[in-house]
Amino acid sequence: MNEVAEAGIPRSPIALWQGIKDFVAARTISTTGIILFLLLATFLLWPLIAVLIKSIAGPEGFTLQYYKNFITKPYYYQSLINTLTLGVLTTSVCIGVGFIISYITTRGPRFLRKPLKMLALVPMIAPPYIFALSLIILLGRNGIVTRALNLNWSIYGFSGVVIAQTLAFLPLAYLMIENSLSTLNPNLEESAANLGASEGKILRTIIIPLLTPGLLKAALIVFVMAISEFGNVAILCGRTPFLAPDIYTIVTGIEMDFNMGSVLSMFLILPCAVIFVIQNYLIKGKGYTTILGKPVAAEPRRINPAILFPFLLISILVAGLIFVTFGIVGMGALTKIVGVDNKFTINHILDWRSNMALVNSLKVSLLSGFFGAIMGVLLAYVIVRGNLRGRTALEIIAIAGFTLPGTVLGIGYIFAFNRPPLLLTGTMMILVINCAFRFLAVGMEAGINKLHQLSIEVEEASMNLGASTATTFRRIVLPIIFPAFMYGFMYVFMTTMVSLSAVIFLVSPGRELASVFIFQWASYGYIGLASATTYKLIAIVGASLAVIQALSRWTGLSPTTGGGGV
Amino acid sequence: MLVLREIYKTFGTVKALKGICAEVRKGELITFLGPSGCGKTTLLRCIGGLTKPDAGDVVLDGRRINDLTPDKRGTQMCFQNYALFPHMTVAGNIGYGLQVHKWKKKRIQERVEELLHLVRLEGLGDRPIDKLSGGQQQRVALARALALEPKVLLLDEPLSNLDANLRVLMRATLREIQKRVNITTIFVTHDQFEAMSISDRLIVIRDGIIEQVGTPSEIYEKPSSEFVARFIGYVNILNGVVRNLGSETDPAVISTELGDLQVLRSENDIQVNQRVFLIIRPETIRIGPYGEATGINEFKSTVITSMYGGSTIKYTVDVQGKNMVIDQYDPSHAGIFEIGEKVTVTIPQNVHILKK
Repeated sequence: MNEVAEAGIPRSPIALWQGIKDFVAARTISTTGIILFLLLATFLLWPLIAVLIKSIAGPEGFTLQYYKNFITKPYYYQSLINTLTLGVLTTSVCIGVGFIISYITTRGPRFLRKPLKMLALVPMIAPPYIFALSLIILLGRNGIVTRALNLNWSIYGFSGVVIAQTLAFLPLAYLMIENSLSTLNPNLEESAANLGASEGKILRTIIIPLLTPGLLKAALIVFVMAISEFGNVAILCGRTPFLAPDIYTIVTGIEMDFNMGSVLSMFLILPCAVIFVIQNYLIKGKGYTTILGKPVAAEPRRINPAILFPFLLISILVAGLIFVTFGIVGMGALTKIVGVDNKFTINHILDWRSNMALVNSLKVSLLSGFFGAIMGVLLAYVIVRGNLRGRTALEIIAIAGFTLPGTVLGIGYIFAFNRPPLLLTGTMMILVINCAFRFLAVGMEAGINKLHQLSIEVEEASMNLGASTATTFRRIVLPIIFPAFMYGFMYVFMTTMVSLSAVIFLVSPGRELASVFIFQWASYGYIGLASATTYKLIAIVGASLAVIQALSRWTGLSPTTGGGGV
Repeated sequence: MLVLREIYKTFGTVKALKGICAEVRKGELITFLGPSGCGKTTLLRCIGGLTKPDAGDVVLDGRRINDLTPDKRGTQMCFQNYALFPHMTVAGNIGYGLQVHKWKKKRIQERVEELLHLVRLEGLGDRPIDKLSGGQQQRVALARALALEPKVLLLDEPLSNLDANLRVLMRATLREIQKRVNITTIFVTHDQFEAMSISDRLIVIRDGIIEQVGTPSEIYEKPSSEFVARFIGYVNILNGVVRNLGSETDPAVISTELGDLQVLRSENDIQVNQRVFLIIRPETIRIGPYGEATGINEFKSTVITSMYGGSTIKYTVDVQGKNMVIDQYDPSHAGIFEIGEKVTVTIPQNVHILKK
């Protein structure tokens, strides 16, 4: 203070206090950042490392024996091949059909656009394993179609899994492709048409080349989801080996072979990690900007019937399949044994175990939603406004936790948290923490987007007018970032309600979740209970979606781009 | 060459076009001018076949083309955002239509070279689109449209996305190319200076209805409605009542809020006691040093604002309580009046009379 006074610069106590406040404020962001990093490292990185360790930790120390087992025993590597094939097949069909449906809903006859779009998106509020249920009802051992046509073919196996996964992730593929298509400047196609190009030529030379980056991004996401999702694969795989259900049986079945389970997990992570790198480093930001100035709505062209009719046919067929699925499962919920004893009953709906599990699911989802949203918002602020050195690492870890298969995080949590000081297995907290950390990335990204919209100058203007950092945060930043908080909450809530892949390893007596019960009942053939619980889940998730819609209209934030729960 | 008969178009509840009748002559550059949302782009799209009118006929060279697809009409559209194919080069874009029509490779090359020369983009054939400036993109879009030698060229606000200086430059270039190729062109814009500077004729559109058709000078000097008068350039409008009809040699007398004005009648058929608008352009009013104001149409007034613009100076003056805008050219010669200064203002006798 003395040397300042001597230098002749007036330094009032107020300025000094401001300086201290700024110092603390800057450090606050950094401190928060450090705490968040520790949390993410503990609950996302550490479980993964635990899995890695288990895969190479033999009775005598470091060993590659388990990996050798994997590569040499056909049962294991066949599992990997099947999983990858599943991914490729599912992705191809989803992208192809997703493109066809989005073509119709953006450039086809006006009266079809909205109904087709709604039907294609309806599965987003249902758990992905609803399709396993409907396939069992229709084509299972006692399936309606099986008995009507006296089929000898079993839905349990490779084909059943592919069909179910394709239907499950079609809405997600459609959503992403439609998003890309609708940002494609329709003037480009009009120009090409004006210059004489046929519809087929326009598709080949204009639409598909420009859409390719968007298609690629969608394909990567669908691939990851298809190989990570547990429910459909586990219910319908029969004797065919796939990685996700195999990890489950190896770890929780009679063998309790943690080591092999970890090895399988590492092989499941591998393609996901590769895709993660491609997504975030190679193709991030690539794409064509085709709209300059005023956006123009696409007017329906006279589309060549040779293209229109097949597209329409496929779209309506798929829409029909989705419609049938929901109807069939609804029937399953309301009849004693659907297809066999079609007497109406509400017993399935009233089942107390199902309701108790739903209450648990609600509790877990609300808590993880809350924690996930708070952490998402704090992460967003630290990443955008902080100057902590590792803050991009924060973002990457969060997104990695989101992209990696739930199965792997599930067993990772068993390995990591079954010993003090972090003895969490067998509690409800482990469920809450697992889901909160896995899904917080969505709220974080929403928060980052919102903060980027809020230019730093707005906060500077606030401080220029006399507000402190804390006041600026409270009165300017928080209200603006609040929609991202709500959005993050809703997403984590909805996804946790239907999530299965990770929590199936972590539930314990008294803490069952609805998704796990649905899976178990479907596996044992109690279709009525499984269907009824699924519909109750849909009702809750559907209601939340309605709240999001209302909220987004109120705040102007755009609704989901995230997928169905895995 | 192109005739529009009773064109109607409604989008949902919005009536975009309400019975447009117009005619476009061969080789002319005619502009659809009007404020945003007046329907000019919709009309252009109807002509080009990109939007289907609900009623009415589009007739080109005697043939009704309503039901023809855009590529069979003989029209070519140039979009406001250029709509260039981003994944192709300049030559790829320009040659696209030719490729589609299965021209031989050599012919395509020759034609593309020809067009590059026409729009002054020689040597840029292999450049990717995202490496072009706005003005260059504009010219590629034009070349692409001209490649197939259409009968009518449709330009939808082609210069709106360019910055001010480039706009003025490109206006001249566009007009020059149009005249060189002698192609019938319909130009859409909301910028009246642009419209006036390059058009052979203007069609002023407001809310889906044609307000006036004429040459730029006809529209500027003799607007047929208050809307057109206000839309084009700056204008002073006085409310008047005809007191005395005058004759071929004597001016009429019209009483206004400034006082009585002597106005030469020309071709207007006005009656005594008729209410009229007087359309007075700012550059026609004389402003001079303060005096007795005893001459014809002279008034005493005070300068309220004075905006120096280099070649002109724009005054707002208070004449008998009414604000009027005056443009004075060459202020270095004519002198500059300060704010608050008293001046004499002279209204010309040959102002345009509009019946109310």
